[in-house]
Amino acid sequence: MTWLRSFWVVFSKEVREGFRDRRSLVTALLFPVLGPALLGVMLVIVSQSTRKADEQGVDLPVAGREHAPNLVAFLAQGARVVPAPPDPEEAVRRGDAEVVIVIPEEFGERLRSGRPAPVRLIVDESRQQARPAMIAAERLLTAWSLQTGMQRLVVRGIHPAVVEPLALERVDVSTPASRAAMLFATVPFFLVMAVFTGGMPVAIDATAGERERQSLESLFAAPLPRSALVLAKMAGAGVFSALALAETLVGFGLVPLALPATRIGFSMQLDPRMLLRSFALGLPMVLLASGLMVVLAARARNFRAAQTTLSLLMLVPSLPGMALGLLSARPPGWVYAVPFLGEQMIVTRMLRGEALTTGQVAVSVAATITAAILVALFAARTFEQGQPLFDP
Amino acid sequence: MIVLEHVRKSFGPVEALRGVSFAVPDAHITGLLGPNGAGKTTALRIIYGVLRPDRGRALVDGVDLAAHRLEAQRRLGVLPHAQGLYARLTAREHVLYFGEMHGLSGERLRRRADELVRLLQMEEFADRCAEGYSQGQRVKVALARALVHDPRNVVLDEPTNGLDVAATRQVRSLLKQLREEGRCILFSSHVMQEVSALCDRVVVIARGQVVAEGTPDDLRRLTGRESLEDAFVAAIGSEEGLA
Repeated sequence: MTWLRSFWVVFSKEVREGFRDRRSLVTALLFPVLGPALLGVMLVIVSQSTRKADEQGVDLPVAGREHAPNLVAFLAQGARVVPAPPDPEEAVRRGDAEVVIVIPEEFGERLRSGRPAPVRLIVDESRQQARPAMIAAERLLTAWSLQTGMQRLVVRGIHPAVVEPLALERVDVSTPASRAAMLFATVPFFLVMAVFTGGMPVAIDATAGERERQSLESLFAAPLPRSALVLAKMAGAGVFSALALAETLVGFGLVPLALPATRIGFSMQLDPRMLLRSFALGLPMVLLASGLMVVLAARARNFRAAQTTLSLLMLVPSLPGMALGLLSARPPGWVYAVPFLGEQMIVTRMLRGEALTTGQVAVSVAATITAAILVALFAARTFEQGQPLFDP
Repeated sequence: MIVLEHVRKSFGPVEALRGVSFAVPDAHITGLLGPNGAGKTTALRIIYGVLRPDRGRALVDGVDLAAHRLEAQRRLGVLPHAQGLYARLTAREHVLYFGEMHGLSGERLRRRADELVRLLQMEEFADRCAEGYSQGQRVKVALARALVHDPRNVVLDEPTNGLDVAATRQVRSLLKQLREEGRCILFSSHVMQEVSALCDRVVVIARGQVVAEGTPDDLRRLTGRESLEDAFVAAIGSEEGLA
């Protein structure tokens, strides 16, 4: 009986048993849908607010329009002025209106006498969706205030530039792709999570579970090379890990199809080629993650302890990657040599449509595969000594 | 034929085996008798290759486990102390899985599985998943997977533990049948009745050492006691841990 046959016998049993475990299978295959679903919801929200602001212009409810016809005329150049709801504050609080401008009665009189004329802008700062309307209203009011002030200075013979020491000019360098990348920063995070959650049930069941059920001893008494035994268990977990990864990627691929990105000014590199590349890039992660999970679960005291350990293990590589994704600063080069982190960087940059060197990809793949081999060697050695059986 | 030669094994400060030697001949049922904690399970685990001795060696049909573990394990059928099953595999799949691990396959393996299902009267539950099996059913599956490759040597750690009378009798008659086929059978027990009912030879082990060895008659003669029970107690030097 060859090594390969031993491996195959155990591997096919682990996979068959994994597919029969409906509960963990559903958990493992449900999680990967979560990331794409979340991204879809976020995109819907953002696209709604952006579209309103960009295409239709902002609806600007104004109360007391009769008190300031000039101001209202100015506002109407930049937004659609509509009648205000009866109770402006309550309307904004409830979210019926995104913003309301209230012009009090004394506005005209104060303006004529040269004193600051009161205007109330009612907003809810905590509502992300209302932000474009808020900004539009503020800009219009500020612009009118500035324009009126300058007219007053000119009337008094003073050059308006005197009160404008700063010439502020805003230049927004974000491209549509990089704006969208803010949202897509969660993609690599969910890829890593999928790699871990997918293989976790099998990794635990095949080690800590097998010891708890007391079936490991019969397995160790069988004439199998222990390296074949442990590698088969890793590969078994890897199958489910790769499945979850594929599922997540397909899910992310479907998101832009369901919500055409161009309509909201985003163009995201989530085409099939990018997905296939991400999958290939994910395979070394699958190997390393399954290896780590099998090793750690084999050393856990029992089933529950293994679950706790592996849940923590999953956070270690996924959180720094998420931080890197959100910070758009250029990361140091060594990041690519860190397993899981490098892959997340590469996926993030592919999503942003940035160029990658072959070297960066090669370093990342080589680092992760090397780590996976080291973990497998370590596991084969501890299994050869019978460690998972007797001292977890 | 199973041989242990001067086997020593410690777990940290605890000396489980302190130079154990005995031979288990073919066509005999040999009982490894001793109180709880005497080192029975440790000795058996060394024989079936899941533990390695600190000193000494274990041989199965002359094959040294330390040097050729796989070759030695192929010659062994093992019923470990713990008979855990896979909840999502059927009894038949357990037998097939272990058959494949022993290098069997195809039609030959399927026929062997059918044969064991019949021999151990497992027809009723053979194709149901192991979740919810009774203790008796579990032991039958464990026995079937231990015997699937038709081993010359059979090692059983307390095989009748937790079984009812009917199942115990079944296991005993199976062991006798295996003996008639000329196999080498070693089983451990702390139940004297069982040993006296089954064994051709007895190895008495206490505190990690062999304290007596021979046929039940030898033991009685050696200790000068009338009943086997008294002979065991005399050999072990205490009644503690026996049943």
